[in-house]
Amino acid sequence: MDLARQAQDGDESAFAEIMRRYSPRVFSVASRFFRQRSLVEEAAQEVFLKAYTQLGSFEGRGSFEGWLTRIATNTCLNIIRSAKRRPESTVSDLTEDEHNWLEQQSGEDDDPLAIENSLVAADLADRLLSVLPPEDQQALLMIDGEEASIKEVAEATGWSESKVKVRAFRARRKLREAMEELLGRKGKKADSLAREQVNR
Amino acid sequence: MKEKHIIEILDNGSITSLTEIELNEVRDHARECESCRGAYEAARLSTLVLRSRAQSTIEPSPFFQTRVLAALREQQAVESVPAMLRLWSSARALVSSMAVTTAALAVLSFVFPAPAPEPEQTAASVFSADSVIMDQNDEQMSYEQVLSTIYEEDEAR
Repeated sequence: MDLARQAQDGDESAFAEIMRRYSPRVFSVASRFFRQRSLVEEAAQEVFLKAYTQLGSFEGRGSFEGWLTRIATNTCLNIIRSAKRRPESTVSDLTEDEHNWLEQQSGEDDDPLAIENSLVAADLADRLLSVLPPEDQQALLMIDGEEASIKEVAEATGWSESKVKVRAFRARRKLREAMEELLGRKGKKADSLAREQVNR
Repeated sequence: MKEKHIIEILDNGSITSLTEIELNEVRDHARECESCRGAYEAARLSTLVLRSRAQSTIEPSPFFQTRVLAALREQQAVESVPAMLRLWSSARALVSSMAVTTAALAVLSFVFPAPAPEPEQTAASVFSADSVIMDQNDEQMSYEQVLSTIYEEDEAR
C-alpha cells in the first residue's frame, strides 16, 4: 500500500520496485493468453502503464497482487478482443509430433494426474483452446491447468463465481469433444495406414 | 453407471479434482463402455495438455523494467503538454495546407479574372405576350391594352 501511494505521488523508484516484485505475476497471466515473447512483453507493459494511471483507484481492501492480476487479465482480454480473433470452428489435423505425443500418452492410465511438460502438448493445447472464446479459455486454463479454485478465478477476472462455473463447464465439454474428434481422426488415419501397408 | 452420468462427472470438474472413489468408478465404467472410454481418454488428455500449457510461462527480460519506465516518462511528457498545444501540433499540417490553398486561389482569381457573364437564355421567347406585358410599365398600360395584346397573339397562332 505504501509503495502504491509513493508511486502515485510520482516516486519512480517506488513504481520500479512494484514492477520488480510483480512482473513475474503479470508475465504469468499474460503467458496464459500469448505464447510469443514479444506479445507477452507488450501486454505486460500495457498492464503496468494502466496500473500506474489507476493507482488512485487501489483502496487497499484486497491484496495489491490481486488488484494487479485483475488489471492484467482484463487488459489481455481486451487486446485479444480488439484483435477481433474469433474462435476457430474446428481443430485442424494433428501434426506428426502431436500424433506421436498422443500415441505415447494413450493408455497410460496408471497416473492420470501425471504432468507431461512438453512444447508439443502446449502447442496442442493452444490449438484445442482456439475453438473457445478467450474468456472460456482463461477459466479453463486457470482451473484445469493451474488448479485454481472457482473463487480465485472470480477474483482474478472480476466475474461472479457462477459465471466462472458456467464458463469452465462449457469450455471443458467443448475441449473434451474437440479432443475426442482429434483422437477419432487419429484412429481413422492409423486404420487407413495399416490398410495401405496390408495392400502393399 | 450411465454414460450421461460419466460425462457429467468429466465435464463438471477437472479430472485432477476427482476423488479416488469417483476416479475408480469412472475407470471401471470406461473399461466396459466404449463411448465412455473415448470420453474419459479425451478428458484425461485434455487435462494433460492444459497442464503443460499452464507451465509454459515466459519470464520478464532484464530490460523490461527500463523499457516500461521509459514508456511511462514518454506518456507523462505527452500528458504535460496543454491540450490546445497538442491539438495545434496535430492539426498544424492540415491548417497550414488549407491556408496555402486559400492564398493560391485568391492570387489566381486576381491574375485570371472571371469572364463577363453571357446574357441569360430563358425557355420563353423574349417576344412572347407574357414578356411584352411584363416588360411594360404597369402605369402606362391599361387593362384593354393588356387584353388586346393577348388576343393578338392568339389570333396570330
